[in-house]
Amino acid sequence: MVKKVQALVIGAGPAGLCGAIAIAESGVDVLVVDEGIKPGGQLPKQTHKFFGHEGFFASTRGFEIGEILYQKAIDLGVKFQMKTTVSGIYEDGIVVYERDNEKAYDINADFLLIATGASERFISFKKNFLPGVYGAGAVQTLMNQYRVLPGQDFLIVGAGNIGLIVAYQLLQAGANVKAIVEASDKVGGYLVHANKVKRMGVPILLKHTIVEAIGEEKVRGAVISEVDERFKPIKGTEKELVVDTICLAVGLQPSVELAAQAGAKIEYIPELGGYVPFRDENMKTSVDNVYIAGDLASIEEASTAMIEGYIAGYNIAQKITGKDLSEKINKMKKELEEFRKGPFSTKVRNGLKKFGVNFPEGGFRTEKQENTGPTGKLRVKIECPQNIPCNPCETSCPTGAISVGGNINGIPHVDYEKCIGCGVCVMKCPGLAIFLIQEQEKYSIIGIPYEFELPEINEKVLLQNKNGEIVGEGEVEKVVRNNRGKTHIVFLKIPKGLENEVRHFSKISLEDEEIVCRCEEVTRSKIEEAIDNGFTDFEELRRYLRISMGPCGGRVCRLQTLSIISMKTGIPISELEPGRFRPPTIPIPFKAIIKGDEENEI
Amino acid sequence: MPRRVASHPILGKMEEKQEIEFEFEGQRLKALKGDTIASALIDNGIDIFGFTDSGKPRGFFCAIGKCSSCLVIVNGVPNIRACITLVENGMKVERQKGKGNPVW
Amino acid sequence: MKYKVCIIGGGVIGTAIAYFLGKMGETSVAIFEKRYLSSGATGRCGGGIRQQWSTEANVKLAMRSVEFFKKFKEEVGMDIEYKQGGYLLLSYSEEEAEQFEKNVKMQREQGLEVEILSPKMVKERYPYINTDGVVLATFCPTDGHANPHKTTFGYAKAAESKGINIYTHTEVNGIDIENGKIKGIQTSRGYFECDVLVNAAGAWSKEIGKMAGIDFPTESYRHQIFVTEPLKYFFPFMAISFSGNFYIRQALHGQFIMGQGDKDEKPGINENVTFKFEKEMAKKMVKIFPFLNNLRILRHWSGEYNMSPDAQPILGKSSEIENFYYAIGFSGHGFMLAPAVGEAIAEMIVFGKTLHSDISYLDKERFKKGIIQEKNVV
Ligand SMILES: Cc1cc2nc3c(=O)[nH]c(=O)nc-3n(C[C@H](O)[C@H](O)[C@H](O)COP(=O)(O)OP(=O)(O)OC[C@H]3O[C@@H](n4cnc5c(N)ncnc54)[C@H](O)[C@@H]3O)c2cc1C
Ligand SMILES: Cc1cc2nc3c(=O)[nH]c(=O)nc-3n(C[C@H](O)[C@H](O)[C@H](O)COP(=O)(O)OP(=O)(O)OC[C@H]3O[C@@H](n4cnc5c(N)ncnc54)[C@H](O)[C@@H]3O)c2cc1C
Ligand code: SF4
Ligand code: SF4
Ligand code: FES
Repeated sequence: MVKKVQALVIGAGPAGLCGAIAIAESGVDVLVVDEGIKPGGQLPKQTHKFFGHEGFFASTRGFEIGEILYQKAIDLGVKFQMKTTVSGIYEDGIVVYERDNEKAYDINADFLLIATGASERFISFKKNFLPGVYGAGAVQTLMNQYRVLPGQDFLIVGAGNIGLIVAYQLLQAGANVKAIVEASDKVGGYLVHANKVKRMGVPILLKHTIVEAIGEEKVRGAVISEVDERFKPIKGTEKELVVDTICLAVGLQPSVELAAQAGAKIEYIPELGGYVPFRDENMKTSVDNVYIAGDLASIEEASTAMIEGYIAGYNIAQKITGKDLSEKINKMKKELEEFRKGPFSTKVRNGLKKFGVNFPEGGFRTEKQENTGPTGKLRVKIECPQNIPCNPCETSCPTGAISVGGNINGIPHVDYEKCIGCGVCVMKCPGLAIFLIQEQEKYSIIGIPYEFELPEINEKVLLQNKNGEIVGEGEVEKVVRNNRGKTHIVFLKIPKGLENEVRHFSKISLEDEEIVCRCEEVTRSKIEEAIDNGFTDFEELRRYLRISMGPCGGRVCRLQTLSIISMKTGIPISELEPGRFRPPTIPIPFKAIIKGDEENEI
Repeated sequence: MPRRVASHPILGKMEEKQEIEFEFEGQRLKALKGDTIASALIDNGIDIFGFTDSGKPRGFFCAIGKCSSCLVIVNGVPNIRACITLVENGMKVERQKGKGNPVW
Repeated sequence: MKYKVCIIGGGVIGTAIAYFLGKMGETSVAIFEKRYLSSGATGRCGGGIRQQWSTEANVKLAMRSVEFFKKFKEEVGMDIEYKQGGYLLLSYSEEEAEQFEKNVKMQREQGLEVEILSPKMVKERYPYINTDGVVLATFCPTDGHANPHKTTFGYAKAAESKGINIYTHTEVNGIDIENGKIKGIQTSRGYFECDVLVNAAGAWSKEIGKMAGIDFPTESYRHQIFVTEPLKYFFPFMAISFSGNFYIRQALHGQFIMGQGDKDEKPGINENVTFKFEKEMAKKMVKIFPFLNNLRILRHWSGEYNMSPDAQPILGKSSEIENFYYAIGFSGHGFMLAPAVGEAIAEMIVFGKTLHSDISYLDKERFKKGIIQEKNVV
């Protein structure tokens, strides 16, 4: 007997969890299926505090948000099936594969919420197949979930938020980060994230890329080089770094396979992350009972993923129960609007416009605060210069001294009359961007948000500036522990005049070819040669070179191949055919299908 | 070099876990209950999980069962994903070289 | 634009015809393909090449094709992973076994080398096959398989090198007829004049016929197929059973490709897949091929069989419109017949008659006389 549910949610990330919660609030039966070991999607791997506002768990650490949402869903009666992959949406059913039981079977659902998130992109460089070249997600999984470090000395490729955060997490786990290379001329992620690693001495090399991994059997180093405006490596600028691990954090692409198999129209919208399903303002795809949310809909943030989850969920619940949930839906839409007003959402706003979904912008403060407050008073110094959707500083201050101005995207200012130097905001700020300063007679005091092993009081330390360079010596004055939030404050005595310099400290005890398709070992040069020979369709190349015919199902190489085609032929990716997304999404054992079928027959 | 992150400023100390033993390429290795084959190998300082048809070394890559970079032979059965398969006491793990042999 | 010959369809049949035309010196030829090369049945097929048929016509065409596959690499210039690993036909019914014996007699008369094997002999030779229920098997060592994509690309590239044009992403929307003769075709890239038009549109053969006001007795049915993860190459032949309803082979890359037919399919174009297919296949195939048990299914897709009433192709020249040729209705075996068919149709166009294979009994008019069913089909 084929199992049937009213609503099936695929993916237990923030989007799927909130979607399930929204549906279950109306008493509808919901099943959430996720292939991970723990619910939460990206969240269980994240040890840092999230941005946003506290209504959506800003300042709470990723793994904790996951646990909270999961508990909430369980309380509402949502059923979960973890370690279970939806391996395909077929004409005659939705097939799930239970990994532990080695069992595959089909289920039916009246409504589908697909929240499969995104998968990592990959880039090619010489010898990128060597053990020691890992995806950022893989490094996080091992380090934060299994608690093993896959290396000691890391090079990180990509200075978006993910690269910056992984660098920071690696430092917390005790690894060294030799450098972050970034091909563009600016840091793509939030500056507050960049500043956290810079002040620990990790160089962020802009206009640089990796050209080669060094090593025979595993990575022993990396060659990096400068790039020109067209991101091509400049000959003669190569440098060698001694690292044992190269961590790729070059972006995410929506996992659209299942949405495509469900019949949803897929379009190429680079602003949203590549191929994405079309959806309307209610998160409905081109198929009436199929909804999407989260990174699958557009590569964004956990906060927006959650809100989209709610919007999709309430819409599904409304259709199933016939109840009018427009009030809840509109409230969530309003939230989403607030989040998306800032400059970091420009891309998403432009992308959504192509779907006829419009979001307004602006309405927040853009000026930075010049005034640094009265000398001699213990007070905060906020270094949060960008319009990011975040406001825990404002909402956490007990005296109301901070305002972000306008909406959540504004730049925070301090009312120095009101600030009493209590340090609450320092511990809350997810960007670790707030410091306490006080000029004293002989020296100055600086309070630094700190998430590493704590120093001893009176311990002598080396002082580091925003770039991690050593600017002098200081002494630990006191440590304010924060056992819940884990962001502690370390107060240092520092030489006068360095209040705006010191931001961190350290203890004084001081062939090789570019492979595009990993499964079938297809190199970039083979692809280029085939294109020169007239194979200019993805499907033709796939058939000719076997590219993306391996077990990964093209996840690793599809987009890269398309970009090579595009570069060679001058045809924009949006005009190329992306090829078919054939099920199953992961290889399914025969024995699992047999088992699932036998058990269903009983 | 042990690679375990035993204590962590945010995640705290690792919970106590039962120690188990498995075999890799004939060598007896230790792992913790709950480890995947991949995390156990990494903890033992082993990055090379196998070789491709053309003899190139391979380790894990995605760590979530999606890329098939980490195939190993477990108790004689090839094509097992080391990154999502839990180690078990007495398990025999071998490096897979190219494609696996049929078993029937 | 004007070409002497316009061919509708960039599958293995259309490209083979173009290739042979070029070889015979006719280079004013263009192929029109609405998607990309091999996007139809060709790019979705099993790649099997078999001579063990139940009708003489099919045996002959297949044998002629095998002669060509053997020299494909030298002649056409592409390595198509051609392997003569044989075809093992397994029979699960007494009645079918009897038919097999008759077939082998006929096949041997045509000069084909075929063995008859008892289940015990099968077990001895292939210990990894479970022979429970097998009544009789036949084996032809010169049967084999090749890579259909590369075969199509091989024909296409060789044709292009002779100056033949291939228009991909170009759909034929209409056929322009004047005084009972085709003058040209209307396409998404404009109008093209031609002296001869060839219908090699596979699953869409009926639609093309309609554009010319001709009713081809073909219907398209979905056939599903999947591949597994690779294993070391150890299974060199194609195993197939009509009574058991399956076929399976291992590609040189190590992946197993397999499929079955489904009597419940409705006619029409359908590129979706069903889980039912995976369930039925998994249960059946693991029993017969136990080594599959631990293997995983990697990719599952479907394509269309363009069926004719007797499961044999419909080849020839229209009796209603003299400059309209057709090579359609290939059921599940158009890939393997493409060399002989391509050659024969090209000969008809260039020389007015075939020189190597007699295909006159495969024309559209044969159905008026009654139907001789090809039985060896999945
Ligand atoms: C390093 C890093 C740092 C980040 N930091 C922040 C931050 O500070 N603030 C912030 O707001 N956002 C942050 N994000 C972004 C945020 O994590 C994502 O935007 C968010 O997780 C997207 O949620 P989601 O539910 O759409 O997808 P995910 O969280 O990716 O969840 C998708 C789920 O779907 C499951 N799944 C996929 N396919 C299948 C299938 N076929 N069958 C079954 N299950 C399947 C997956 O296992 C996964 O659990 C960060 C992301 C990363 C990687
Ligand atoms: C699952 C499966 C397994 C098979 N296994 C085998 C096997 O093992 N051995 C074997 O010999 N055969 C096999 N076959 C059959 C074989 O694939 C076909 O008989 C053969 O490929 C037919 O080739 P074709 O060129 O006639 O058709 P196609 O490859 O379908 O080519 C026709 C082309 O015409 C194009 N077209 C249609 N209409 C228009 C238009 N209006 N304008 C422009 N272009 C148009 C289509 O896009 C298509 O590309 C199998 C088929 C399937 C589906
Ligand atoms: S230090 Fe305390 S009073 Fe001052 S801004 Fe921060 S939270 Fe408000
Ligand atoms: S200062 Fe405020 S807005 Fe900036 S990161 Fe910290 S909490 Fe967010
Ligand atoms: S590392 Fe990708 S599947 Fe195991």
